[in-house]
Amino acid sequence: MKRKPRLLTVLLPAASLLALAACGSDNGSEDSGSGENNTEQNSAEEENAENDQAGSEGGEVNLYTSRHYDTDEALYEQFTEETGIEVNVVSGEDDELIQRMEREGEATEGDVFITADAGRLYRAKEADLLQPTDSEVLNENIPENYRDPDNEWFGLTKRARIFVYDPERVDESDLSTYEALTDEEWEDRILIRASENIYNQSLMASFIEIKGEEEAREWAEGIVNNMARDPQGGDRDQALGVASGEGDVAIMNSYYFGQMLNSSEEEEVNAAENLEVFFPNQEEEGTHINISGAGVTQHGPNSEEAVQFIEFLSGEEAQDDFSEANYEYPVNPDVEPSELLQSWGDFEEQDINLTILGENNAQAQMLMNEVGWK
Amino acid sequence: MPFFKSPSAAALGWGSGAAGFVILLLLPLSFLLYRMIQPAGENWAHIQEYLLLGYTIDTLTLAVIVGILSIALGTTLAWLVSAYSFPFRNTLKWALLMPLAIPPYIGGYAYHGMVNYTGFVQRTLRNTFDIEVSQRYFDIMNIPGAVFIFTIFLYPYVYAITRAFFARQATTLIENARVLGSGPVRTFFRIVLPVSRAAIVGGVTLVMLEVLNDYGLVSYFGVQTFSTAIFQTWYALDDLDSAIRLAGILMGLVLVFLVLEKVFRGRRQYSYSSAKVSPLKPRELEGWKKWSTLGFCGTVLLLGFILPMVQLLYWGMLTYEAVFSAQFVSLVRNSTLASGISSLLVVVFAVIVANFTRIVPGWLSTITARFTVLGYSIPGAVIAVGVLSFFIYIEQRLQFFYAFSGISSGLVLSTSLVMLIFAYVIRFMAVGYNSIESGFEKVGRRYSEASRTLGMGWLQTFFKVDLPMIRAAVFSGFILVFVDILKELPLTLILRPFNFETLATTAYRYASDERIQETAVPSLAIILVSGAAMYIFHIFIEKEPN
Repeated sequence: MKRKPRLLTVLLPAASLLALAACGSDNGSEDSGSGENNTEQNSAEEENAENDQAGSEGGEVNLYTSRHYDTDEALYEQFTEETGIEVNVVSGEDDELIQRMEREGEATEGDVFITADAGRLYRAKEADLLQPTDSEVLNENIPENYRDPDNEWFGLTKRARIFVYDPERVDESDLSTYEALTDEEWEDRILIRASENIYNQSLMASFIEIKGEEEAREWAEGIVNNMARDPQGGDRDQALGVASGEGDVAIMNSYYFGQMLNSSEEEEVNAAENLEVFFPNQEEEGTHINISGAGVTQHGPNSEEAVQFIEFLSGEEAQDDFSEANYEYPVNPDVEPSELLQSWGDFEEQDINLTILGENNAQAQMLMNEVGWK
Repeated sequence: MPFFKSPSAAALGWGSGAAGFVILLLLPLSFLLYRMIQPAGENWAHIQEYLLLGYTIDTLTLAVIVGILSIALGTTLAWLVSAYSFPFRNTLKWALLMPLAIPPYIGGYAYHGMVNYTGFVQRTLRNTFDIEVSQRYFDIMNIPGAVFIFTIFLYPYVYAITRAFFARQATTLIENARVLGSGPVRTFFRIVLPVSRAAIVGGVTLVMLEVLNDYGLVSYFGVQTFSTAIFQTWYALDDLDSAIRLAGILMGLVLVFLVLEKVFRGRRQYSYSSAKVSPLKPRELEGWKKWSTLGFCGTVLLLGFILPMVQLLYWGMLTYEAVFSAQFVSLVRNSTLASGISSLLVVVFAVIVANFTRIVPGWLSTITARFTVLGYSIPGAVIAVGVLSFFIYIEQRLQFFYAFSGISSGLVLSTSLVMLIFAYVIRFMAVGYNSIESGFEKVGRRYSEASRTLGMGWLQTFFKVDLPMIRAAVFSGFILVFVDILKELPLTLILRPFNFETLATTAYRYASDERIQETAVPSLAIILVSGAAMYIFHIFIEKEPN
């Protein structure tokens, strides 16, 4: 066998790639034409959708959602039963869905965008992906502070960023505020997940609004100093870290704690039952909350069905389900939170415009990067 | 240089097919390079100052340590099952390949479930034995944890390649060493390792490329590598330009690894010391040696396959009712559809290119072959970025044509399965190509030349003479590609069309929703198909006389 200059044959492709690149051409913005449906949809249904008026039988609505809960799917079925409108679901991560809608432009199939973070709703609005909705029902069901000022998105459920602690090791009276957790006495005792997590970014974004950039940075720095371990895992893993004694206080989302208490793993339920919930900053500006919400997309083909669908989710029945089965706080003031949630007690909420969470998102992420919050 | 001297009809025919494919393959990659030399995105300075070093260190640490440990584990196991005889050896021979059927991200889900505070291990210690062991010793969602997961599920690359080498090529050397009185340890380190260096390096390169390509495990564990960074900058920071730069740096790392591979493979060749190549005769092990060898191999199998499978089956039983619905059928259909079409295309292209390099040897075909297998060394996230920019560019240019012909007035290609399949073909071409190339190598050129001399046309020759002879290689290439695509995550996540979920994306989605038990059913489906394919493949290889 003749020996060939192997190294050369590896490098050659790379070199000619560069050469090709040099004569490449401009790849500008991503625009597109309009209204073409090109996915595996039932075309008969689509025709129906065009012919039908809102409110009548038939039709369909396409969701782009980053919420993938069984509760939601059950509600979709119920909506179809009540209205005859088919619900098609595309699930994905929120940022991914926003990217996709931007790329699809006017060709998008999505009628409703649903996500579990106010910051992402803001981002979708900023990217011109949503349209204003004028609905009496929504205005009535959803208090103003959980809605976009221009009615481009609507909050559907609330989650609080709470403390979870082990009452055997931490006395409730020692807990007070998010800020207090940066004190020296909490060194090596705090559990919280990575900064790439959107709920942490939104928490940080709210602090930038309330305290200003400098104090927010100091807070993040203080938390990093007091972390019991490098951030790892999801919200549920933080509570498990308290149960296992790796740390004493976990900062996590309320609804994940509800999930743990109702887990299909018996041992997880046992672990969670030994822990307690605390709502921080009650004497100050209130506990940080975030919302799950929905908006009607700018270019979706079934806007009327979309509005109907969101109205349905803001109704008492759906709101009750969100609270009972998914442990989220309802936004509809006529609906009581589930018993489990009530057992944790009432709490004051951070009173800021939720749009802020989106506006300050990038800054929040960068500040956390700068103080070394992994 | 025969190609330029007298281009025969066959050379031209196969050559233009091969050239067409290579051009198609290079276009999206050249887009990437072009965009890389554009001004940086708005976040680049921030990424460079605070994050880049961390990404680089974590990525390199993972790849290098996993590489070293895979060599240790893979070669040791290959040596034990090749050179010694002990109970269950024949079963272990193929069973030790099985961890490869579990993609690292699924292995990570299972292990996190096993060792977290409420997992099987701690639960048993706590409730059955009343022992409290600090959870700190069991935390797995960190770099050492990721190293363990990658090693235990990827070592079979090294194991498979080196074992095949021991069995066929190293026999006489090893037996001579034994006859001349060299002890087992000395034989292993002085003879076996040096002669099989090329095989080991080949295997470990695959392992490291897999580590660099991984997105599922590192994103679940929260380890910051280039893959996660590309996704994050692109999606969360909405900064495609910075993401492309990160992709470029990652490609740079890959190139370094590939150059190192060439260097470490070395130029030394060990020829057979006799013409007859016979399988290595295993030595019977006795007493404690026998049992500890069995124990060692058994432990690896336990960790790399049995334990995670038990965990997944347990979760599967808890959740199958919720997951196993009509939707599940569509997941299976989507997965098989995408993998099937792509594997078929890979095989067709691979046959064209491999046939071209066979008929027209020389530097041109060497380069063509190199380009063809390039995609396998490019991490999925990087290919995805390139392919997506490419399709958007093309589609903008096609708007006029769409409107003119009335096909549509919007996006066609970039919202369809075409884009994903295109990316799969680029990424997994090498897998099919290597299999088919080796098929052609065994057949050689004599038969087709005879056929041509006897007056058959070049296409006719191909279909009547060549293709039937490489049938087996084509089949095995298809299976290997199919399994790889079934497990694939980053490309699928980025490029899949509207409403298109696969088994892999579903498992991933459940995991990122912290609903880990629900990942079991789709995961088991993937493992089942991969496992079955690998078993068939093993039988196939073992039966092959040489």
